[in-house]
Amino acid sequence: MTELVGHDFARASLDHCLKCTICETQCPVAAVTPLFPGPKYVGPQAERFRAGLSVDASVDYCSSCGTCTLVCPQGVQIAELNSQARAAMKAKHMPPRDRLISQTTLMGAVMTPFAPLANWALGNRPIRTVVEHTFGIHRDAPMPPAQSQSFMGWWKRRPQVQPDAPRGQVVFFHGCAGGYFEVETSKCAVEVLEFLGYEVIVPEQGCCGLAMQSNGLYRSAGAAVVKLSQSLLHGDLPIISASGSCTGMLKHEAREIMGVADEAVAEAGRRIRDIMQFLRDLLEAGELPLNFAPINKRLLYHAPCQLKSQGMGMPALDVLQLIPGLEVDESGVPCCGIAGTYGLKREKYQIAQAVGKSLFDQAKTHDLVVCDTETCRWQIRKSAGVRVEHPIMAVHQGYGLSEPGALIG
Amino acid sequence: MAKAVVIGAGLAGLTAAIRLGEVGFNVTLLAAGYGGLPLSPGTVDVFGYAPKQVADPLQAASEAPPPHPYAVIGAERLRSGLEWIANSLGPEFLVGAIDRNWLLPTAAGALRPTCLAPPSMAAGQGQVDAVIGFAQLKDFPAALVAGNLGARPVILDFPARDAEAECSSVVYARAFDDPGFRERFAAAARPLLRPGERVALPAVLGSRDTHPVREVSGLLQAEVFEVATVPPSVPGLRLNAALLARARAAGVRMVNGSRAVGFSVDKDRISAVEVAAAGSPEFLRADAFVLATGGFESQGLVMDSHGVISEPLFGLPVAAPQAAAFAADFWADHPLLRAGVRVDSELRPVDADAGPVHSNLRAVGGVIGGANRIRELSGDGIAIGSAWAAAESLRRMK
Repeated sequence: MTELVGHDFARASLDHCLKCTICETQCPVAAVTPLFPGPKYVGPQAERFRAGLSVDASVDYCSSCGTCTLVCPQGVQIAELNSQARAAMKAKHMPPRDRLISQTTLMGAVMTPFAPLANWALGNRPIRTVVEHTFGIHRDAPMPPAQSQSFMGWWKRRPQVQPDAPRGQVVFFHGCAGGYFEVETSKCAVEVLEFLGYEVIVPEQGCCGLAMQSNGLYRSAGAAVVKLSQSLLHGDLPIISASGSCTGMLKHEAREIMGVADEAVAEAGRRIRDIMQFLRDLLEAGELPLNFAPINKRLLYHAPCQLKSQGMGMPALDVLQLIPGLEVDESGVPCCGIAGTYGLKREKYQIAQAVGKSLFDQAKTHDLVVCDTETCRWQIRKSAGVRVEHPIMAVHQGYGLSEPGALIG
Repeated sequence: MAKAVVIGAGLAGLTAAIRLGEVGFNVTLLAAGYGGLPLSPGTVDVFGYAPKQVADPLQAASEAPPPHPYAVIGAERLRSGLEWIANSLGPEFLVGAIDRNWLLPTAAGALRPTCLAPPSMAAGQGQVDAVIGFAQLKDFPAALVAGNLGARPVILDFPARDAEAECSSVVYARAFDDPGFRERFAAAARPLLRPGERVALPAVLGSRDTHPVREVSGLLQAEVFEVATVPPSVPGLRLNAALLARARAAGVRMVNGSRAVGFSVDKDRISAVEVAAAGSPEFLRADAFVLATGGFESQGLVMDSHGVISEPLFGLPVAAPQAAAFAADFWADHPLLRAGVRVDSELRPVDADAGPVHSNLRAVGGVIGGANRIRELSGDGIAIGSAWAAAESLRRMK
């Protein structure tokens, strides 16, 4: 543990803890299970007794949603400390399951060519039961449906038109899920950027390593994020992404949790903008077209925990309220429960469902839910049985880029 | 639409943001974390000791000499602010008269003066017959409370969840949200009480609102009331959640988890604050700014190792004690706690010549100096009175 620069930073914040308990009152996991004694207990309190190794395995029940760090009035890096402690604890005996579910690119690459077969297998209860017993992935855990065409396949095959790009170029970072599973979201993001007058560049790119990071596989996650950052840096172009949690990896987790001290990662972290944040920047600068077609719908917006951790407010709300006719309710729920791969795991599935319950209840009373990150959309779709899309789809429709009703119900 | 940015989400920041939203500002509330409300008893303390125990808090505030913040806010604006918050939250949250203090029991069994209180706690004024505690809730020492109040302790071996040997008030409050838990509790407690008794319970009867208090009273055939525990404090959490909901209803945008670290000026005005968001900074531009970062407890004021006191965001002049910062006796009135910025009647921070530092900046709550809020029990009144006054001033400016 001591070789982690990120850990030194986080540990330095430990003495700011006043033991005020605010984090414990807001932790969504501690609220639903006695198995997790709370972020203060396993964090600033237990950290004083750790010399690399953990004295208590309960830190494994932290979902890393980051709510504790967000609400801490004293700036203690509680979630960061807990992620690091868990990584140290698991280092010697990493469950094979946790290695497997971190391989997000591999999963997409294998499933896409065999999409119908893969989707049949994911929906087949006997197979899922065997998977649960063999690998510890809960049989009811949300899994994304494989798509027959990846975003990269679409991007390469789409008719090449000479771009009319008065606003210049931007680099698009689609992420693994946006490349293989949430393909429509990536397409919409690109089309909105082009509509606004940008030429979109999509470099060859790999995984950000977030799932490996959240499972404590820091070495492979670090290598992935360095490689990705290098591939995203083109001249001084801004980087735009519709993948809210992968954006957070580049902005925050890579450096502040894993302590990756790499100039490309630092630069990519400075340049990257979440697509809704980018649109809000344009709005603030008076450069966003406001001629949205009305969308007469009432939808529920859920800000993912990993987006809230970026400390930029809720840019999707600021943009969606520009669309006439659109009524947007904000969920006010800290986390949907999934927290990346946490809610997939056999021993944590029920906890994740309990964490998200009030969100699922709200979702059921709306026609549509919008949410900025992929795994959260899968969790809400599966658990509430409603349509869940990225907010960019409403923008896409508002600009007349898709038929009314085509994308957002 | 005029824009306002409020920095800090304690009682002062929340009330300033709500009021500015109500009077037509497009408000952004920037919060590095939660404010202190989840640690507070959920009451509104206006003036408890001046330095003798106060019966009429409005009268005491009107007599406070400069540089006390009440001398700047004035009794009229304080009254308006308190009436506004009491009406806005309604009698489900706050009851009382602005010119009369309640005397309510604390988690140590002492009696504490406060102006407005949740109805479930206000019922605790007067005689107490029994004090119920839980063996699993260390944050409410029922035997101590009962001993100090001359009442009978009733300690139940009654865990909130599974077989947990100990837990916080919040875990009990969530358990009391469940009607089944309330019934099981009443069945265990009723044989130990006499009908019609006045019974104190730790303030854990429901995490969101206090309707379980009425129900438990009925089940126990007793007059039940709540006493705030040591933190985490459920009545404070209820008040915090209610104010956040009202902020949302008033159209306030929330930017959480980021600290304001810099600002830019345009002549005599602040044009933007720089926010240390993840990745790259965000800039919040606005027509008006409200500083609600609190005192030393929340780093709204800081003191370095040489004893130099500063306001770290805008670098505002701070009126600091001339003599020693600390008194020799721990329980004495430490001059340090009166440090803070000075404001004019428009709540604008002023420099040594009493002129405003920035024409569109207001300071509210604990960052304003001149009071020992802890000893006086005056922090909530200063927060609400100054927030109201600042919002009225900005409304006129708009």
